[in-house]
Amino acid sequence: MSLSYDEWAASLREGTLLGVTCADCGTTYGTPFSVCNECGGRDLDATDLPEDGEVYSVTTVNVPPVGFEGPYQVALVQVGPARVTARIADDDEVDIGDGVVLDGAMEADDGHPAPVFRRA
Amino acid sequence: MTRASVVGAGMTTFGVHESTLAELFATAALDAYDDAGVGPDDVDAFYFGNAMGGQTENDTHLAPKLASEVGIAGVPAQRFEDACATSATAFKNAVQAVEAGIHDTVLVGGVERCTPETGLGTGEMTRIFASASHRQYEQPTGLTFPGVFALLTKRHMHEYGTTEEQLAHVAVKNHANGQRNPRAHFGRELTVEDVLESPVVADPFHLMDCCPFSDGASALVVTSDERADSYDDPVDVTGVGHATDIVPLSAKPVPHATQAARDAAAGAYEQADVTADAMDFAEVHDCFTGAEVMASEAIGFFEDGEGGPAAAEGRSALDGDRPINPSGGLKAKGHPIGATGAAQIVELTEQLRGDAGDRQVEGAERAVAHNLGGDAGTTVVSVVEVRS
Ligand SMILES: [Zn+2]
Repeated sequence: MSLSYDEWAASLREGTLLGVTCADCGTTYGTPFSVCNECGGRDLDATDLPEDGEVYSVTTVNVPPVGFEGPYQVALVQVGPARVTARIADDDEVDIGDGVVLDGAMEADDGHPAPVFRRA
Repeated sequence: MTRASVVGAGMTTFGVHESTLAELFATAALDAYDDAGVGPDDVDAFYFGNAMGGQTENDTHLAPKLASEVGIAGVPAQRFEDACATSATAFKNAVQAVEAGIHDTVLVGGVERCTPETGLGTGEMTRIFASASHRQYEQPTGLTFPGVFALLTKRHMHEYGTTEEQLAHVAVKNHANGQRNPRAHFGRELTVEDVLESPVVADPFHLMDCCPFSDGASALVVTSDERADSYDDPVDVTGVGHATDIVPLSAKPVPHATQAARDAAAGAYEQADVTADAMDFAEVHDCFTGAEVMASEAIGFFEDGEGGPAAAEGRSALDGDRPINPSGGLKAKGHPIGATGAAQIVELTEQLRGDAGDRQVEGAERAVAHNLGGDAGTTVVSVVEVRS
């Protein structure tokens, strides 16, 4: 049984970032999917992703949507074999290649959590 | 091989419009009718694009409403929604329906209102645009659409050394072209310094690296290869490629490669039995300057990593060897989401007819349009040629 969004979100709120690994081809994703996009396999097991990561790309959002107050950094973070889209902690400023570490989760006003990383 | 032909093209100015969605669309559709010399009786179906009317104006089930507005109530009509690639997807389906003999003559187009005429401010509209990013794995971070393309572009800069100055050249070039387009939202003399000194929206993008929020509509009359001969000035659609890429961004193996665009371009060129080298110009989805750089590489106009230097060297200018966005692109012409893809085909049609006035690409016989939607999740690439 694949990891559900609710399980991914609950785990993130408790400080653990989960991904999924395809039992058939070994591909790891930073977020759940019901079916593996590489091989079509349905056996995607929850995997603990490492807490340490590296910034793959990052931008500072100065003009935020309603419900957010800028500026803040959003990054693609490489965590082991997968990447996730994450916020960078407010007092930090990072660039591509910087080492970062998971620093819990933030919650938008719609109640959905997002991973937060800070400078390692 | 010709798959279908465009025999009528029309669009409104892109900018700020006070009229209703229906009236705005009708302005473009009546232009297209008149250009083709057809009336409602000649239209067999309606393929219509609108991305956000439900969110921006509480207006849904728009295909029959707009069909009624333009006198074709009764024909099969359907709405397409694929974020910013909305009306290119409608166009693809219209071409396929005509090619398959399901309909002889189709009205296809799109409309959108994105300016404060909708009653929504920048923050609210930014949130609506961001609804095209992943609901659970992207939106909660506060990622915006400038942010999506900033993440792709920053990695492109890291991999290839693309610079902010090179990005700025794209804006300068498209504004110069927009000056020559009477339907463009913007168009003025702009310098690289002007771009770099404008406020940062999402680094590396300054305000002048970003397309505007625009209102507008576009429409095309598409008919079969055989029927096209009975019209004045048909142009032939010889290839339409359509591909998607994995969403969210974090799951893309090489985000800055914009894989869907590469796959869609390969499909379009293969159908048309041509290569990128045979294209006389391109209209590409330059919602942000970095998006044009990545698109110019994905459609094969420049080698990977060369898109930025090529823009700075003037190679993609109107008088360059690989012109891109003679219309001014989304950057200067404007970006009314659901109207954008079909408007690119309007530009191709006018250019290939030799009717583009001051922004004419001399002797253009074959061109390509690239329309991207969402977080590089959808791309439609179309090849259009002068009828031989
Ligand atoms: Zn697999």
